Amino acid sequence: MTQFFTDNGFLIVTMLLAAMLALSLYLPLMAGQLSLASPGFYALGGYIAAFMSTRLFPSPDGTYPLALLLAEMFIAALLSGALAVVVGIPALRLRGIYLALATIAFVEIIRILALADSFEYVTGGAIGIFNIPQPFASQTGYLWVVVPLLLISALLIYRLERTRAGRAFVALREDELAADAIGIDPTYYKVLAFTLGAILAGTVGVISAHLLNTWNARQGTFDAAINYLAFVLIGGSRSFVGPIIGGMLLTALPELLRAGAGVGVLPVGLAQFLADSRQIIYGVLLVIGTIFLPQGLITPRLFQRRRHS
Amino acid sequence: MAQAARSEIILEARGLSRNFGGLLAVNNVSFAVRAGEIFGLIGPNGAGKTTLFNLITGLNQPSAGTLIFAGKTLLHQRPHQIARCGIARTFQNIRLFGGLSALENVMIARHIHIRTGALAGMLSLPSARREEREARERALNLLAMVGLTERTDAQARSLPYGDQRRLEIARALALEPRLLLLDEPTAGMTPSEKHGLSEFIRDLCDRLPLTVMLIEHHVPLVMGLCDRVAVLDFGQLIALGDPAQVRSDPAVIEAYLGDE
Repeated sequence: MTQFFTDNGFLIVTMLLAAMLALSLYLPLMAGQLSLASPGFYALGGYIAAFMSTRLFPSPDGTYPLALLLAEMFIAALLSGALAVVVGIPALRLRGIYLALATIAFVEIIRILALADSFEYVTGGAIGIFNIPQPFASQTGYLWVVVPLLLISALLIYRLERTRAGRAFVALREDELAADAIGIDPTYYKVLAFTLGAILAGTVGVISAHLLNTWNARQGTFDAAINYLAFVLIGGSRSFVGPIIGGMLLTALPELLRAGAGVGVLPVGLAQFLADSRQIIYGVLLVIGTIFLPQGLITPRLFQRRRHS
Repeated sequence: MAQAARSEIILEARGLSRNFGGLLAVNNVSFAVRAGEIFGLIGPNGAGKTTLFNLITGLNQPSAGTLIFAGKTLLHQRPHQIARCGIARTFQNIRLFGGLSALENVMIARHIHIRTGALAGMLSLPSARREEREARERALNLLAMVGLTERTDAQARSLPYGDQRRLEIARALALEPRLLLLDEPTAGMTPSEKHGLSEFIRDLCDRLPLTVMLIEHHVPLVMGLCDRVAVLDFGQLIALGDPAQVRSDPAVIEAYLGDE
């Protein structure tokens, strides 16, 4: 068992990070807002981690104190949240596909700013930042941060869904006009949902930067947004369990295919092709999923059935 | 009910107009609704009744005129702010949160009476848990009041039409409004359901400090239930008075039956 974690440490950590990124997209979706801004905040979090750990507090021997990692996560959460409020207030006036487009533009702006010469000291420009120090001796060590973070996020969202603010989100998703007429301020709750998602994405960016050891403008781009969307839509967008399952499953899928080729379940060539073409698989799954599983794999009904039996 | 309380004005419209493009949906309408009364609003299709409700609840802004509720202007207020002032409504084409249960629909409408913020809710503070329990109890009571106790967990969208109308009234009542606007509450109901709902509204007004404005096409119901009736035709107020006055008003007869 320990051996399994050691061998697959990177994959497991990546799966859990993907689950949280899916949750970051799920939060605004709870309030009916299709926002693809998560990768922008994820990129921001990564740059905060890269800048702090290589420029502000460089560690000559390549190790990094856990306390500083937690401090980075806190700062990333704060700045992502603040930026989300500033971006969200004007952007969330847009609806549906227009909001999605505006948030894609936001992700592009973050990417282009990261490449800009004037920010090169912070972002490393086109080359990015290398040798981000490791807070843990092995990649499996990241589980000490990632598992609690996922559990806490899931618990908080679970409770949110069952209290006043979460219900306001759902009311907006179901019928914005009716929600407005019963006293729910649409702007406030849309911006709140958007901000909570941004905070989570920014925090995940910090961990990713350390895990990947390097950060550059190719992290957190538009393709990533589509991946997260696939996580949510395949996993299910009506319960927080959906994005978690979707994120973990779709992240593991290419590796499973690779492993399948290893033991001869699939022809090696086909398995290799599938494993290397994640984007194609996600795209196909998105199309198939929306036709045959419009609510995703995990639906609230699933829980009801379990409760009754 | 005391005569003094009856004569207090709760809602006043002065010179209220709204045009959509060239169409004057509401044209220079003035009236006053007294606290505690059931105020009927009738008129042919397209007379501007629903537009008038939309103006009162802030879904549309008037092109001209003023609207005063309990001494405060309703102009330039967003719908959720007007809801907080104490005005709740139902919709002609039922706007429930279809995917949610009947209970959730009513609990959501306790929003303005709960203070729990997102953080308190996520941390599940004792105050949040207490408010949650209270909201649930209030919602269950309201569902019992409108006779939907058996349907608490049913998805709103799956309810029969009459039940959906009743659920929407329960949701509006969850706001504890001082003024309740009902847009064709008995549409699609059977005659016995219509009668039951009419009794229910009368009973509500007797028990609660509630004023009701009611749009209704079923004229006998309006005449039987309402204290006063206003008649709109082509956006204009053509009659206002107690049911007997309105019924015999020549302008009303002409609007409904046409010119001889």
